This record gives sequence, structure tokens and C-alpha cells, in this order.
Amino acid sequence: MKTWQKTSVALAITAAVSSAAFSEMPKMGSGDFNWANLDKFKSMDLSGETVTITGAWLAPEDDIFRSILSHFEAATGAKIQYTGSDSFEQQILIDTSAGTPPNMAVFPQPGLAKDLASRDLLTPVSNNIKNAVLNDYAAGQSWVDLATYKNKAGQENFYGVFYRVDLKSLVWYSPDNFADYGYDVPESMEELMALSDEMVADGKTPWCIGLGSGAATGWPATDWVEDMMLRTQSPAVYDQWVANDIPFNDPRVVSAIEAFGEFAKNPKYVSGGVSAVGTTDFRDSPKDLFSVPAKCFMHRQASFIPAFFPEGTVIGEDADFFYFPAYESKDLGKPVLGAGTVVTVTKENKATNAVLEYLMTPLANELWMSQGGFLTAHSGVDTSLYQSDSLRRQGEILLNATTFRFDGSDLMPGAIGAGSFWTGMVDYVSGISAKTVADEIQESWDEIK
Amino acid sequence: MSLGTSQTKTSLFIKHAIVILLVTIWTLPTLGLLVSSVRDKDQLTTSGWWTALTTNSQTEVFRLPTAEEQVAVADGYEIRSQLFEPGAKSRITNWGVRADGLTDNQPGRAVPFDDSSTLALAPDGTAVWHSKEKFTHTRGPRLFFGADYPPQFSLDNYREVLASEGVGRAFINTLTVALPATFVPILIAAFAAYALAWMDFKGRFFFLAMIIGLIVVPLQMSLIPVLKLFALIGSTLDVPSKSYVTVWLAHTGFGLPLAIYLLRNYMASLPRDIIESAYMDGATHFQIFVKMILPLSMPALASFAIFQFLWTWNDLLVAAVFLGQGEGKTVMTQQLIELLGSRGDNWEILTSGAFISIAIPVVVFLSLQKYFVRGLLAGSVKGG
Amino acid sequence: MLQQILFAFTAIFFAIGGSILFYVGSNLLIDKLLGDNGAPPEKQYRRDKLREQIRPWIFIGPALLFLSVFLVYPVFKSLQLSFWDREGENFVGLANYIWAFGNAGFLTSVLNNLMWLLFVPTMATIFGLTIAYMTDRIWWGQIARTLIFLPMAISFVGASIIWKFVYDFRGPDSEQIGLVNAIIVWFGGEPRALISILFWNNFLLMVILVWIQTGFAMVILGAAIRGVPEDTLEASMMEGASQTQIFFKIVIPQIWPTIVVVWTTITILVLKVFDIVYAMTNGQWGSQVLANLMYNEMFRNGNSGTASTVAVILMLAVMPIMIYNIRSARNSEQ
Repeated sequence: MKTWQKTSVALAITAAVSSAAFSEMPKMGSGDFNWANLDKFKSMDLSGETVTITGAWLAPEDDIFRSILSHFEAATGAKIQYTGSDSFEQQILIDTSAGTPPNMAVFPQPGLAKDLASRDLLTPVSNNIKNAVLNDYAAGQSWVDLATYKNKAGQENFYGVFYRVDLKSLVWYSPDNFADYGYDVPESMEELMALSDEMVADGKTPWCIGLGSGAATGWPATDWVEDMMLRTQSPAVYDQWVANDIPFNDPRVVSAIEAFGEFAKNPKYVSGGVSAVGTTDFRDSPKDLFSVPAKCFMHRQASFIPAFFPEGTVIGEDADFFYFPAYESKDLGKPVLGAGTVVTVTKENKATNAVLEYLMTPLANELWMSQGGFLTAHSGVDTSLYQSDSLRRQGEILLNATTFRFDGSDLMPGAIGAGSFWTGMVDYVSGISAKTVADEIQESWDEIK
Repeated sequence: MSLGTSQTKTSLFIKHAIVILLVTIWTLPTLGLLVSSVRDKDQLTTSGWWTALTTNSQTEVFRLPTAEEQVAVADGYEIRSQLFEPGAKSRITNWGVRADGLTDNQPGRAVPFDDSSTLALAPDGTAVWHSKEKFTHTRGPRLFFGADYPPQFSLDNYREVLASEGVGRAFINTLTVALPATFVPILIAAFAAYALAWMDFKGRFFFLAMIIGLIVVPLQMSLIPVLKLFALIGSTLDVPSKSYVTVWLAHTGFGLPLAIYLLRNYMASLPRDIIESAYMDGATHFQIFVKMILPLSMPALASFAIFQFLWTWNDLLVAAVFLGQGEGKTVMTQQLIELLGSRGDNWEILTSGAFISIAIPVVVFLSLQKYFVRGLLAGSVKGG
Repeated sequence: MLQQILFAFTAIFFAIGGSILFYVGSNLLIDKLLGDNGAPPEKQYRRDKLREQIRPWIFIGPALLFLSVFLVYPVFKSLQLSFWDREGENFVGLANYIWAFGNAGFLTSVLNNLMWLLFVPTMATIFGLTIAYMTDRIWWGQIARTLIFLPMAISFVGASIIWKFVYDFRGPDSEQIGLVNAIIVWFGGEPRALISILFWNNFLLMVILVWIQTGFAMVILGAAIRGVPEDTLEASMMEGASQTQIFFKIVIPQIWPTIVVVWTTITILVLKVFDIVYAMTNGQWGSQVLANLMYNEMFRNGNSGTASTVAVILMLAVMPIMIYNIRSARNSEQ
């Protein structure tokens, strides 16, 4: 959308800023935020302590994060320095191995945190934080389990707090385009496939799928396969798959990959044809939803993708989402796939635990919620503070999920989850069979055992 | 003496032609980046950069304003909107109310829009939506149109980078890293190169072989062992393990093999006679080095200075590992990456940032050109 | 801000000043300590000999120190780690090497690196030499040289965007924003996902390195060409030699050692090529190279054993070049 549209949108009543925009951070005491949460911290005196934090967040998340922490700094007197890096995984490995780690690290993939914990490069976190997670987070036990890893001696410890979560089982679409052609939001997987066929019959292309992501190319396909796994198998089987208790080339996994292929390898289904799938960047792919005429109608992607919609797109109006449906014929409920960043301690000091406590308060979550691009599993937050209605709906899906599972590739060891699974998926859409690809991934898993 | 006067017209013409061809091929990709840096962000990813140089047609969608915008007029109610930015020279070519009805209407006349209203869309993008009754909608319907856009450029991308927080400081930081990290390795390498070229000592060839071999050592394998060492020294001596000193040392260490190799080769090709005669006259190696070799080696020193400066100026990895990433220590490349955003989609920042960042190395390149003088050795060979 | 600038100046001053001080100081010191002090000739002779034996070590000492710490030590560490397991805890002998030679990814990388080695150094040197020579005496030579140099100056991050805009692929019905595909479509062909074309994608990547490294070759060879003595050129002109004859029979032989150096350097840099492959394909579609494989093993798979093994093999690959260079250095001395 061109800049003229910004003027007209701004004139609209609802001050619904696109969820990618960064509006003014709330001043202390303003709004309905839980400012009272800060009281506990005002009584702490951490002046003189500096906490260095590294993570993968760059603009604009880094500024939002720093401003949220500024209230902690003001209350306790501690100083916090956050630096983001675009090669976080490389940096953190270098720094922890060499003995020059930051005090805390925010991991985009728990699998990496697990790896470092097994080398005793992470410091376990206090029990009262663990209990806070258990009590305050919806499905708290799952969130505790996701941050519990074995250290070098094989002992299990709790290592961190999940702060900022993504929802993944969503399909984005343009309600206007659906209305124009008389399409309805499908409620089941069977209906979704029928809708796709209907679109093809109308001479349209139903899906945009793009796996490109530079060095990380292939990861969007892993989300598809995980969603398909959850919709074709029970959660227990999913867990076995992620832990490699069943092999990667188990027939059930292969058929989940092939279920993904029914979308991605069908030349009539995908915008640009099958050869575009592996090379289109995941950030460019959703733009086809909004082209004139629309190049595709649906895009399955996580909750952070609105940041890449054209500027001025209003979520809820110009773009909206529906739950990626489950099969009606199978009796597996409505499983939800998600992911999140885990905040851990790499070099403890007097203030690190307090920072974690702060991130566990409703306030720290609400401040980011109001900026958009943020979801939380904290059940104590005021959901009315979400930046938009659409985000609130997503937040509620998260809080009410009966079956919730974490992104499998993020839990697998780096060699698989950030390596062979990604490249295997690219090979799959380039023409190799699902069985061969699964065999190769299993081989790479055997190598690291 | 000029070779030029004896060149024939054809050979000169061929020369120019070849150079023009090569230069065009080389700059074409970069030209793409330059053009992209003055384009609008969304345009960057939807159309090729060469289209920005000519008028091109696009199909777009516009959402009409809500009922709040209506004004009462003589025979009903009206909502006016402007599709294009003020001052834009774009022209509407056709429009419709559905995406596949783009060619339904021509700009100009008022056309029935829906059951109760008409819409007139002028070629300059003014839309007048008229209805006899009051508008009651909450969300404006969409308007699909095709338009011709003449070339339009803006320096907004550059402004965004130059005005970003911390860019001035990042600039100074990068200079603080790059200047010593260029000068010190050259100094150390020059001495070492002279020793390998003209001094006699045990193990000369062994060291030369070792140095050539060290050029290939991959940087990534050195990071952890060296950082560990610095951490150890840091904790024993109670100094920070990451600072400007450590990054200078690191850049020096990593840049030495190539520097020594290039400089040694150049020095070894200097005429033996002048060095020998100076030695006979009682000059020490140190004096020969400082008074004769250094000045004569200026072209090689200048060449390497360009590359070392370039490498340290554009470097991100070594700075991130050895300087650390604390506040106030970011270098330019780091600044650009940060602006690029977590989502990596701010292409317009990258394009303009890349050009801003290139300015300094080019200035260095041009200013060091004066050392590439010809004939430094003229007359020095014949009896000095 | 002002404080920042002040700090920067002081830091730069001390760094540079300190280094100069070391060399000047140490040379003066040994001159003083072992200089003429009126002693008898034989003693003086021995002092002189001692002094001149120490001096090379002052010249080369600091370099050796830096090299040992930053490069030699990591080489030995890598060598050691290549015989250890993924976390560096247990000795595993040749297991990693056996893994390497049985690994399809490794073998593909070796083949690809070989292709890169054949193509890039030669092309970059030839282009660099041509440009350096041709722009030597034309009035706009400086501008031409700056433009050829530009790719080297643009940070790698900028270069990867540039080439993304060249090789980009959109679906057959979409507008192409990549230059190559746009040209293909203009001539009536079907656009292709260029970087995923097996085998040929390697050449597309090599083009990028040639594009960058030609500037390097040009600068070094340009300096060498200017070092050819005028008198020699004058003389041959007087004798009626043509342009081509002068170039091939006089200039090239004179700068041959530099050509070898440039070619060697680029060859070694090609062995290390990493950024280009990492950013464009990350080794997918059969484009893997050794340095990228090493990076993956180290930072994705967290396996310091295999990563070090790849590094060691990479370093061994440069041996023939080292030997050739030493031989020619020895010969030129004799």
C-alpha cells in the first residue's frame, strides 16, 4: 500500500496501528498496566550491579525490551545492557566456550540452550522462579518442562523463563478477497482442502508458501510438518518424534511430510509454482496475499508474520487469520503449535534472578503486549491490553489450548533442528521423495548420538 | 616520456572500448543497489530496479475512507480522497470495484459505484464519492486501479540511516578500530618482510613457508582458542578481556600473513645493488630500512594499507568477538545490522547503509593513489 | 561525543606511537650496547657479528609473536581437536577423518572448492591485469579503477544484496526483480530459480568472487606495472616494438613475480571462501564448500571435532602452493 493510504488509515477512528509499528512506550503510571508489580523491586537495592544480556532481537524489539527493563533499572538501581546480534547462535557459543559470556542470554531456540546446559555453560535458575512459572503460566508444567535440561553430570535442572511466545497454527488471509469471491473460512482440514480445490477451479491460486531465509532456508516447512504431525498423530507420538524415540523415518512421520507435500508440491496450489517454494523468501511470500490481483489467498504462518505485510495493513480488516484446522475425521481435538524465546542465565550475579522475576510479572508482559508482536502464556495478564483485537484472540487461543506443543525443530539438537531438518525440507520441495529425505535426517541424527 | 604519444589511434580506441566494456559489466550490479537505495521500500521488493528509471504501470488497491469523512454538499453527501501523494505525477489509467474488473472504468466521469452512490476518479488521483443519502459504513470499500508512475526518487532511506541513533558514535568507533588496526600490522609486517627479504638468519625459508601457510588459516577456528587466552590473561591481570586493545591485537594477528607475504615479495624485487652499496658504505640494516626501503616500498605499503583498512572497516565478526558489544562500542557494520532489524526486511536501510559505509574506503583508496607513482626506481639502478 | 573523539585520538596515538617506539627504541638500544666503543678489532668484529645476528630477530620478532598467538596456536589446537570428539572431551583417533571421507557433503565440498580454484584465481588475475594495464595511461584511468575497486569496498553485507537483486527469482507469472531472470524473460525464456540449479549455481557464485577480487588484483598489479623502469620501456619503443610486444615481452616478464603472488593470494583466499556461499545458498543445492561446511559443523552441529578436521584438511590443501612459492623464492635468490 502506498503512503497515501497511511493518511487515510490514520484518519480512521480506531487508532489501530499496524502491529509492526512501534508506538510510544507507556510512561510510568499511565494506562491500566499493573504498575504495582514494581513495588517489590523498589525495595531491592541492586545499585552498582550491571547485567549484560544478549539475544537475537534487533530493531525494533531491542528498543522495546530496553524500555521495559528501564523500569526495573529505575526501581532497583541496577544497570542493564542489552545487545542484539544477527548471528546470535554463533556469538553465544563463542562467548560461552571461551569464558567471556554475558550475564543472561535470550535463546530463540531452546534446543541450543539445552546443548549449552549439557556442557555446564548455563546456570540453573532458582526454585522460586520455577514455581512462579508453574503457577502463573497457562499449562505451566509444559513451560517448566521445556526449560528443564540435563547438565553435564546428567542431573536435570531448570534453566529459564519463556518470555515472548509465538503462535504457529494460523492461516492468514485477506477477508476482502474471500468476500469478493464468496469463500468461507474453513473449520476443518477437509473443508480447507475443498476450499483450495474450489479456488483452483475458479482459476485462482490458493496458497503462498516460501521457505527462503538465507542461511536458515527451510524452517517454514518444518512448521508445516509439525502442524501436520499434530493433526495426524497423538501428542504422545509427537513427543516421541521430537525426542527421536521413534525414528525420523517412521512411516507416520513420512506421511506427515507427504501431507505437507499435498500443499507445497501441488503445482496448482502454490503461487509461483513448486520451484518458487524453496527459493521465495518467507518475508516476501505473504505479500502475494495483497497484490492486485491477488496472487494467492492463504498463507500458513506464525503470529509474527504481520510485521512483513505491506505497510499500512490493518490486522483484523485488511488481513486476518483463522486457526489452521484439524481433521474432522480424526479425533485429535484442536492442537496448537507454538514457540518462544527462553531467557537464561549464563553468568550469575546478584541481579540476574531479580531480572527473571521481573520478566515474570504481568507488568513486563503487558508493556510489550501493548506494542504488538508479542504474545504471552502468563495467565495473570490483563488481555484487554493487547494492542489489537486480533492479538487478543491469538493470546486467548494460547491460554485456552488443550493440546499445546512447542515447535519440534526448535527442541531438536542444533544439528537436526537448525540443520538437516531444514535442508531436508528444501530437498523435499526440490523433488526428492519424503522417504529419502526422512532417511537422511535420521542418518544425521544417528551421527550425533 | 609517455607511451601515449606512440599509441596509434586504433589501439587507443580499442583500449577505451575494452575498459568501457569491463567497467560497465562491473558497475551494473552496483548500479542496481544505488538505484534501489533511492526507491520506496515496498517498491524495492516488487519490481526490478531498472523499472524505477522509466515510467511503469502498476495495479494497486485503495481503501476509501469511513463514513466519518463525509461532508454535506448541495445534493447529498460527498467523501473526497486523494490516492496519490501531493506532488506525485502519477496518472490513473483505469479502475474498477473488483480486482478482476480493473478495466471496467476510465478515469474522469462519475460512474455508479454501488446501489446508491457514484464515484468519479480523476486521472490525477482525486476521488469524489457522492451519495444522495448519508454514508453509514464503518469500513470503506476498496477501489482497484491501474496507474502509471513516472520515476520518483527520494533520499529518505539515507536520511533514516544518517539520523539513526548512535550512527555518529559508531562511525568514530569504527575509525578507532580501523586506524591502528591498519597502521600497526603494516609496521610490523614491513619490518618482518625486510628481514625475510634482505637479512640473513637461520630459519628464513622456514618462516617464509610458515607465513604463506598461515594465510589460509580460517578465522573461525582461531576465535575460541584466542578468546580463551585473552579471558585467561584478563582474569590474571584483572583487565577486561575485550577492549579496543584486544581488537587491535586480533586484527594485527589476522592481517599479518598476507601483509608480510605481499610486502616481502615487493621488497625482494628491489635492486640488490643499491642495498649492497649502502651496506658497504657502513649503513646498518635499520638505517637502510628506514631511509631507503620504506620510501621505495610506498606503492606496496599503500596497496596493503587500502586492503587492511577496508577489511577492518567492513569487519563485523572480529569486532563482535574481540571488542565485545557493549553500549558505545558498536561499529558501523553492527549499527547497520541492527537497523536492518530482527526480521531482516528493512532492505532500504541496507541499500543506503551500504553506500554510506562505502564512502570512507573509497576516500582512502583515492587518497592513497598518490603513492602509486611510477618510476621510483628510475635512475636509481644506474650507479645510484 | 567530544569525549568519544578525544578518547579515540588518544587511543590511536598511543597504539601507533607505541609500536613505532618499540622498533626505533630496540634498534637504537642494540646499536648503543653493541656499537663501536673503541674496543680492539677482533672484539669489535665479534660485537658487530652478534649485533647483526640479533637484529633480524628484532625485525621479525613481533611478527612471529603475533603469528604464534593468533594463528599458530589455533592451528595446533585445531589439529588436536580433530582427533577428539564433538565436545573435545575424549580422544577418538582418526574417527573424524574417516567420517569426512565418507561424508557426501564433504566430498561435494572438495569437488566444488577445486572448481572454484580453477576458475576464480585465473579469471580475477587476468581481468585485474587487463584493467591495470589498460587504465594505466588513459585520461579517465583513475575513475575506471575506482569503479572496478568498488566491489571490494562494499561491505559483504552490501554485496550479498546486490547479487540477490541479480539472481532473484519470482514465479513465472510474476514480475522478475532479478536482472538475469529479467533478461531471460525479455528474450522470451522462462525464468529459473538460478541459485538452485545444480552444478551451474557454483559458477554463479564464483562470478561474485571474481567480481570482488579483480579489484584486489588490479591494485597490486597496477603498482607493479608502475614499477617497471621507464628506461626499459623507452628503449624498446625506440627499437620499434609494438604495443602487444611490449606488453607480453617486457611488462609481463618484469612483473611476473607479482602476478604469481596475486594468483597465489587469490587461490588461498578462494580456499577460504565462506561468506558468499553462506549468504547466498548456505551450501544447499550442491554448492557446499569446505569453509562453510566447517562453520556448520562448528556452530550448527556444535561438533568441534569434525569442524577442526575440515579446517585441518583445508590447511593441508595449501601445501602445494607453499612449496611452489618457496621454490621460486629460493631460485630467485640463487
